[in-house]
Amino acid sequence: MLKRKGIYIAVALAVSASAIHAEGDTKAAPAAAAKAVPNGWAYQPVKQQQPPAVKQQKWVRTPVDAFVLSRLEEKGIKPSTEADRATFIRRATIDAWGLLPTPEEVKAFVNDKSPNAYEKLVDRLLASHHFGERQARRWLDLARYADSSGFQNDATRPNNWRYRDYVIKAFNDDKPFDRFIREQVAGDELWPDSQEAKIATGFIAGYPDNANSRDLVQRKYQISTDITDTIGETFLASTIGCARCHNHKSDKVSQKEYFQLQAFLANTSFDQRTPLAKGTETPWDKKFAEQQAKYREATKEIRDKQAAILKPYREAAIKYQKERYLTDSRESIFKPESEWNALDRWVNFRHKTVFNPDTDTAGYLRLTAENKEHQDYSPDRAAAWKEYQKLQAELRKFDNLRPIGGSVNITAATELGHSDSPPTFVRFGGIHERPTEEVQPGIPTLWGGDKLEIKPTATSSGRRTAYANWLASPNNPLTPRVYANRVWSQYFDKGIVPTVADFGRAGEKPTNPELLDYLASSFVKNGWSVKKLHKEILLSAVYRQSSEERADVAKLDPKNELLAVYPRKRLEAEEIRDALLYASGQLTDVVGGPAVFPPIAKVLEGGQADFDGNRQWTVSKDKADWNRRSIYIFSRRSLPYPLLQNFDPANPSQAHHKRDVTTTPLQALTLFNSDIVVNWSQALAGRIINEAGKDQAAQLSRLYQILFSREPNKTELAALKEFLVKEEAIVQKKVADGKFEAAVPTGLKDPSVINPVRGAAFVDLVHTVANSNDFAYRF
Amino acid sequence: MSINRRDFLLKTGLGLGGAAAAGGFIPGLGYINAATAAELIDPLAAKQPHFPGKIKSVIWLHQNGAPSTLDLYDYKPELERLAGTPVPASFLKGIKTSTQGGVSKLFASKQRTWKQYGQSGAWFSNLLPNLAQHADTLTFVKSSVTVGATHDISILKLNTGDLNPGRPSLGAWITYALGSLNPDLPPYVVLYNGEQEPSAGSVNWSSGFLPAVYQGTAFRPGESPILYLERPDLRSASQQRASLDLLKQLNRFGGDRRPSDTELRARLESYELADRMQTAAPAAVDLSKESEATLKLYGIDDPTSESYGKVLLRARRLVERGVRFVQVVSGYPSNISDQERRSWDAHSDLDGNHATQARMVDKPIAGLLTDLKALGLLDTTLVVWASEFSRTSWGESGTGRDHNPWGYTQWLAGGGLKAGFTYGETDDIGLQVADKEKGVDTYDLHATVLHLMGLDHLKTTFLNNGRSERPTVVYGKVVKELLA
Repeated sequence: MLKRKGIYIAVALAVSASAIHAEGDTKAAPAAAAKAVPNGWAYQPVKQQQPPAVKQQKWVRTPVDAFVLSRLEEKGIKPSTEADRATFIRRATIDAWGLLPTPEEVKAFVNDKSPNAYEKLVDRLLASHHFGERQARRWLDLARYADSSGFQNDATRPNNWRYRDYVIKAFNDDKPFDRFIREQVAGDELWPDSQEAKIATGFIAGYPDNANSRDLVQRKYQISTDITDTIGETFLASTIGCARCHNHKSDKVSQKEYFQLQAFLANTSFDQRTPLAKGTETPWDKKFAEQQAKYREATKEIRDKQAAILKPYREAAIKYQKERYLTDSRESIFKPESEWNALDRWVNFRHKTVFNPDTDTAGYLRLTAENKEHQDYSPDRAAAWKEYQKLQAELRKFDNLRPIGGSVNITAATELGHSDSPPTFVRFGGIHERPTEEVQPGIPTLWGGDKLEIKPTATSSGRRTAYANWLASPNNPLTPRVYANRVWSQYFDKGIVPTVADFGRAGEKPTNPELLDYLASSFVKNGWSVKKLHKEILLSAVYRQSSEERADVAKLDPKNELLAVYPRKRLEAEEIRDALLYASGQLTDVVGGPAVFPPIAKVLEGGQADFDGNRQWTVSKDKADWNRRSIYIFSRRSLPYPLLQNFDPANPSQAHHKRDVTTTPLQALTLFNSDIVVNWSQALAGRIINEAGKDQAAQLSRLYQILFSREPNKTELAALKEFLVKEEAIVQKKVADGKFEAAVPTGLKDPSVINPVRGAAFVDLVHTVANSNDFAYRF
Repeated sequence: MSINRRDFLLKTGLGLGGAAAAGGFIPGLGYINAATAAELIDPLAAKQPHFPGKIKSVIWLHQNGAPSTLDLYDYKPELERLAGTPVPASFLKGIKTSTQGGVSKLFASKQRTWKQYGQSGAWFSNLLPNLAQHADTLTFVKSSVTVGATHDISILKLNTGDLNPGRPSLGAWITYALGSLNPDLPPYVVLYNGEQEPSAGSVNWSSGFLPAVYQGTAFRPGESPILYLERPDLRSASQQRASLDLLKQLNRFGGDRRPSDTELRARLESYELADRMQTAAPAAVDLSKESEATLKLYGIDDPTSESYGKVLLRARRLVERGVRFVQVVSGYPSNISDQERRSWDAHSDLDGNHATQARMVDKPIAGLLTDLKALGLLDTTLVVWASEFSRTSWGESGTGRDHNPWGYTQWLAGGGLKAGFTYGETDDIGLQVADKEKGVDTYDLHATVLHLMGLDHLKTTFLNNGRSERPTVVYGKVVKELLA
């Protein structure tokens, strides 16, 4: 701690001249000031690094190895031996795909005598669509991705899956990362004719939102805050959000500079009803449109009648609804369009987005019909409301015709065809109601203070383009460092900068700065190719090391910062589910499409519908959809999918950087008791019997091959066999008691292969083994 | 209470030998105390507070939908006098209202009568005859304020301190800071009465950026309170035992190869804990052995208060068993079909709505307080009546009231507090806090609850993405005047 304080003081002295004035005057702080910050390592240009000379030259497989080895040699620690090939392929497949290798894949790799066996394996992993699915999951963590808006009504966002699919495709196509950034931050401005680029802005459009907020102007502030913080954290590992309420306590960012970042977003609105371009419909879209047409056709008469009932009240309802907003929102809403300024434009578009004339009129009618004391009450209204409700009940009978999931629109950022932006103010203490000085867009001095040229387009302010180009610039030292560090942390559990979300002064320093710079510079040099970055790590000797404990390392490098031992890690929530599902042979391997709803406990389903009539959880009709990969499961912010909930999944309310690992009895209960997991165990048992035949030893060996990519050892075999004998006796006793109720293998090609009692005992064995640490971890 | 230390040790599984578990020197870290060492192995291990706390557990009674405390505790003769007339402009100073062209006329229910109770002389309306008997047990905060005009954001603020989802709830913070007193039960439990989980619920008992182990566990109504608690029907108890034994064996084989891997060991133990939880959790919520008298005390003999009474009796049983934080979200009686009476949100027909809701909670809460006192638990338990906001002095739709975040009543009861005491007041029509200096915001309430548990809200911190976060964001002060 003392040491750190010393540095802090040094920093304070070094930058005092600009630091003190930073609040009042940004011009006084030239870009060079950042370079004077000794602790601001992250903001220094990335240095071209040559791999250092090492003694054990033979150990080095890719340049990263030299950087790691050189540190180990300094400390006199030897790297660990290579993990055996079976362990390696299980590790690499889980890391790259989030799935297990099949026994056949393991066998082929283990027996591959060619000199490029590892490279062939890695190329195969990177070429699979599973790669994109797995990498997208972690990106969606950062994008605080959800299929709903959050807050109490937690409305369905029916277009969001398009953004999710965009991300999967980006990773599978190895879209250059700089382009990936530009599209997500400013796709609509940079490529106004590209639907894909517009969908990419789903990244910024993913903010949690509350459609029934009565304070639209405050909502704008909340949304800008969310996006500003998300961009800062995700691309720059900067905890910039701290500076919203006060000058940053550890990083030299003033409140004013923070609001200058918000100014990049000042003119940004979000349109959730941009129609999908003709000719780009996916099969899901076609199915959705077809189903929607069917529903509309079947219910047309009822809906027309309802519309006729509402018509006389519509105008009053709209007025009533508009009047229910807070003062400053009302000012914009009631202003004639000819007098709108940029803020009015934003507020009115927002109002249009959240206002639904049909449901809002119905709500108004109800209010004034049910309550005789209401000033607008009349018996006519009471009668009309009664009639409306009757029709509503009729309408509900057609609910099963409603399309589940999907839409005919895309969601995208838009500046509503205007290039002028509303003003952005500093907010005292971060409090919306206390605006002070007006600010212009700008990059904080700490980040180099670059002066950006903002070129408005005919339809847009150009602000986000300027910001996106700066973020994705090859000269920006933060962006490639931050992302290379994230990828590294996926493989080695910890980043080279252990605080993956904070490269500022409160964060930890890189344990191996030269390695980080090497990765960052070669990432940029390789055209920002994410796959090449992964490949270099996957092929390294560091990644090949065994994870066996070593007493010498525990002593010399207790934090294992130098990576002399490969860090074993618990599978992430989705990996646990997907791997088991895949092993059981039940996975429906379809890429993309609207989110799916596997069954959940009834008590959670919720009867409540959001404003658009979507229920919280409408179980997918097609059972194949129940067995899709977890990334496709509907992500409702208020209702985490229960099977995953306890395994430290991402919290979709904020950018989620790091998957925690907690160990709790609730996890044990979930895996051990969930009927879903039991069903998979039954299917897995069935698969094993189909593949291994009658022989018990062959069955046990197959089970271990499937789940652990290895054979059971002697001690394990003895325990497993002993269990089978005991369990069979227990099940047999149940039969003797006159009731045979047990989970038996499913999907058997030839049911006569195994008697039900043995089968039941075998299911219990499979289920138990699937619960063991050997399954839940990758070593 | 730094998370980093635990974090890397758990994750690397290296460097933590048997010696460290008892406290001592860890290479690279220096000396750590026993509490930290215990924490390294079990994130829920009981931890020391910053100073001796007065209470061990909290029962947080969230009155969902926002009751009109003007119709329950905050007696305003002036409002009754002015009812039916426009709100004098002086009362509206400084507030933003959501109604075009001014607000409606002041409103007072014709069915309301008021009486003073106990030595403290606290006022209660005729809606809470049973709770009124506890006048001298309660500590009123009649100057509560908050932010927001819609339920969802203000409910979030009530539970997490923020208007946006993503921060840990108060219960999560307390669980993180103090750990569990009973490993066989979740330390942070959420209860509700009604057929469904409260909508948008889980963000209100989320662990936010804290590890998921600190999130609230929602107990379902019925015998099996936790999802996945029961073994599947097809599996007998002896089958399960045999399976657990095999599992232990297999995990030990693996563990033997990695003797210093505490995380793997913790996972092995978690299955044994789960096994115990299978018995402990249903037993904790099983009311079948409670006496007739107790059931009556909680109003379980009345269909209107039955479901809420059962929930509060469960709350007592959980607190008895060492659960740290019980968050109770009020719902609605099972005999109510009218949507408008399913929460306190009385925009119209306040009399009808509050008659139901007050009857639902009155006996159960009074019963809970009586029961806790009789068992000697009230000294170590804190009961909080909290709501996202309250309701306006003016009427809405003629018979209801709109939302009021500017001045309302919440109360606390339990150890360490001045009982039979009232802090703060609202203006003469019960609209705004009279003396702004005495306004008690959510953060102040949270800081005070933490203080009673022996936690300094400024020192209860967690390093999240480099930001040192605390439960009260950047606000909050302990309301010292409430403390005994």
